[in-house]
Amino acid sequence: MKPQMITLHINGRTHYVALNPNQTLLVALRDLGYTDVKCGCEKGDCGACAVFLNGVAVNSCLVLAGQADEGEILTAAGLGTSEHPHPLQTAFSDAGAIQCGYCTPGMIVSAKALLDHKPHPTDTEIRDAISGNLCRCTGYAQIIQAVQSAAEKMDAGGEG
Amino acid sequence: MENKNFQVVGQITPRKDGVARVTGQEKYTVDTTLPRMLYGRTVCSPYAHARIKSVDTSAAEAMGAVVLTFKDIPPIRYNERIITVEWALHKDHYILADKVRRMGEPVVAVAAETEELAEKAARAVKVEYEPLPVLIDPREAMKPGAAPLYDTVMYGDKEIKIENNIACTREVIEGDVDKAFAESDVFVEGTFKTHKIYHAQMEPKSVLCRPEPDGGITVWATTQSIHNTRIVLGQIFDIPLSKINVKRMAVGGTFGSSIQMNSVVPIGVALALKARRPVRLTLTREEDMHDHGRFGTDAHIKIGAKKDGTLTGVEMEMIADLGAHIIQGYSFLGVSIGWVVSLYRLPNVRYKGVGVYTNKAPGCAMQGYGNPQATLAVESLLDELAEKLGMDPLELRLKNYVGLGMTFWGQGPMVRSIVWSDGVPELLGKGQELIGWDKRESPDTKSGRFRRGIGLGRGFHTTSAGAPQPGDVIDFSGALVKVNQDGSVDVVTAMVDHGGGTWEAIAKLVAETLCVPLDKVNVVPSDTFSTVYDVCTHATRGTYAGGGAAVKVAEQVKKEIFETAAHYMNVQPDALKLRMDHEQGQAVIYVPSIPDRKMTLKQLASRTWSESWKTIAAVDSYRPTNCPPAYVTIFLEIEVDTWTGTVRTLRTALGVDCGTVVNPDGAIGQLEGGLSRGLGMALYEDNEWNDQGQLLSKGYWVDAKTPGIMETPALQDLNTHFADTYEPTGPLGAKGIGEAALNPVPAAYANAIYNAIGIRFYELPITPEKILGALMEQENMVKEGVH
Ligand code: FES
Ligand code: FES
Repeated sequence: MKPQMITLHINGRTHYVALNPNQTLLVALRDLGYTDVKCGCEKGDCGACAVFLNGVAVNSCLVLAGQADEGEILTAAGLGTSEHPHPLQTAFSDAGAIQCGYCTPGMIVSAKALLDHKPHPTDTEIRDAISGNLCRCTGYAQIIQAVQSAAEKMDAGGEG
Repeated sequence: MENKNFQVVGQITPRKDGVARVTGQEKYTVDTTLPRMLYGRTVCSPYAHARIKSVDTSAAEAMGAVVLTFKDIPPIRYNERIITVEWALHKDHYILADKVRRMGEPVVAVAAETEELAEKAARAVKVEYEPLPVLIDPREAMKPGAAPLYDTVMYGDKEIKIENNIACTREVIEGDVDKAFAESDVFVEGTFKTHKIYHAQMEPKSVLCRPEPDGGITVWATTQSIHNTRIVLGQIFDIPLSKINVKRMAVGGTFGSSIQMNSVVPIGVALALKARRPVRLTLTREEDMHDHGRFGTDAHIKIGAKKDGTLTGVEMEMIADLGAHIIQGYSFLGVSIGWVVSLYRLPNVRYKGVGVYTNKAPGCAMQGYGNPQATLAVESLLDELAEKLGMDPLELRLKNYVGLGMTFWGQGPMVRSIVWSDGVPELLGKGQELIGWDKRESPDTKSGRFRRGIGLGRGFHTTSAGAPQPGDVIDFSGALVKVNQDGSVDVVTAMVDHGGGTWEAIAKLVAETLCVPLDKVNVVPSDTFSTVYDVCTHATRGTYAGGGAAVKVAEQVKKEIFETAAHYMNVQPDALKLRMDHEQGQAVIYVPSIPDRKMTLKQLASRTWSESWKTIAAVDSYRPTNCPPAYVTIFLEIEVDTWTGTVRTLRTALGVDCGTVVNPDGAIGQLEGGLSRGLGMALYEDNEWNDQGQLLSKGYWVDAKTPGIMETPALQDLNTHFADTYEPTGPLGAKGIGEAALNPVPAAYANAIYNAIGIRFYELPITPEKILGALMEQENMVKEGVH
């Protein structure tokens, strides 16, 4: 197996990397230091590894890095900073939606994917959107609440 | 003593670690890397029980991998969890297998430059196995002539023989059960079974180890106890503890799964020592599922009572499925009866517990440490008893529960203390009202496809394993608190936070004690070098014992603040007081009777820095002399679909008596999380092995049936509430929540399902298949007129 050169645009930065064709996007991202993309199962079960690839939320463990060549990738860390967090990040932090925080980056990516298309989601739509993300700590109720409250804030402030 | 006018404690505040977690900057062990780091992999057995005939590592070595085999490891057996004194500790585990006793057991380990090369090298290792008969069922394993998993294990420093795969037994006798039963009017009994389910913590277990030039090691590990990890490593590798540093990490949930030094840790350390390079070793999800699970239990319980509902005694026999290794199985046997007799007053007790080896994942503590299993049995039997006696189940519980002023020994026969705070009547009253208990109807009034039921599970967990006297369990914490030159405060503790908000609680308790604004009190990163001993974040003890240590030390700091300030202010130390000044963002030391005699903590600390050359600081250990019960009551309304057998949760009332509530939103999160995990345990989670010891889920979370978002009731239907109590032995009146939140949940489901369809289930999980099967049987009985 020979490495191939690929280009990844991640959170606004461009990386040129040589990777084996069987490398997953999850491993490529984490090796580049984007450890906010979490590895929970590498089997598509848990959603901890969710990122945006060209605007679409994907489980990065199910995508080969080569498939993302020239792609625009956005991870949870790319959504906001400590000083300027994304409204979803603020809401998760304020609503008790985080405990250990391991599922959080993936949850926030899935939630943003929902709000991008549905700024006023119903309870059922939120559940549908997050049904691919597991959280063992919180029992999910405060996560649903966080997404609702972020949606309200984004609506009022036109942010996001 | 009782002061509830708190300024920080009980306030809802944004979590200090929240920003790092939502922006993905928090670093867990799996995210940690070092320059020149190698990647480790293990060669895992495909068999559940086998002798290792030969190992050929030449192909892996030819690839440039560092290879570790049984010959390379210290010939020492260990127990990965050391919370008990030496005489209660069995040791049967080598770093790598001398013989395979469960599927996925590491036989050889490799380390290589890339993860891919490590994987290739692991696959190139050739191991020849001689398969042995596989024992899945503890009852089979106990039969004379069954294939032995072990010939001998270490017990303290003695080698003992293992007969019939029985690792340990424990008997407890109190009072006279025969006499009590002879005087009883009514009995309830049943055999309750629970399975070895998977913790399903989100972060896979991992370790990173760096060998140091002085022969020491630095270790980053997924663990709930950095000090116990260090002690076990010191014992195995014979390195002085002063050269072993274990870093306290953020942990991606545990629920007990990292209560010990995980088995990957010494493998990673041995690889790093051999390679003389840093090595990181992370389990795959499948390996993690093979690594640990809940203890499976099979318990027969009989309870006697008088006509008026007074309980007289209990007889219990339990078989605990330990799996392939014993991880504090002896303690498990002790607490299992402890939970039963601390739920209700059962003055006469006859108990025998047996811990049996099987070829499955080793059982380790999982939220509740046997408590949900015990509570399922007792709460189911109490409902049966109430029905027999024609009593309201609530009334029967109030009459018999272990409450204020009574002796309580949840954490086993040697950990007894007195109950000083008791919110049970309040919790039951509130829950009763919230769920509409009084409108609850009996099962025979229900018909049609969808049948609703209301159920109650009442329970508790001990906060810590503290007691006035020493026992078999080690339990103490410690803290270092120091005032910085700007009046801010560092809290240095070994206590791990697995996500529940323990650090937040500790920071709040110290802020409250020293009247320093919360944003100026930080629980700082720490390791075993910089902290005094803390046993572990387990037993629902984080806030109570870890927080208790921090408050004890903060009180000493406060005394020193007063003594030092008295000197500068020319007053008596006893005349001084502290208050929080939000405008200045400082603690202010003042004399109430002389308004202008005051200084901020910053002024004091900078003067001690420049003029008296000292840091105001204190460090101490803290042993809780009590292990107060955190009481929980779970009321549920569920709906059984009698066509599909599925159970839907409609409404709940989740109440906790955790004393002073330190983090209200965190406390609610504990209750909701406990409901979710308890629901999984009750209704569908199962990590099944086939008769060859192969795990059927194959490492897939979805197949192990971890609860997702769809099963969670809507927030407005959850109804969480707190009892208004104050625990006099706790830090500022606080107890814990953690495990208590889950313990009564499976029982509440079993009782609610009974109330819906009139069928009682004695084995978890209560799956749709079981419900449908039982409904069919019920129907046939009705048809045949058996009734
Ligand atoms: S790591 Fe990708 S779905 Fe779990
Ligand atoms: S917060 Fe721990 S898994 Fe979600």
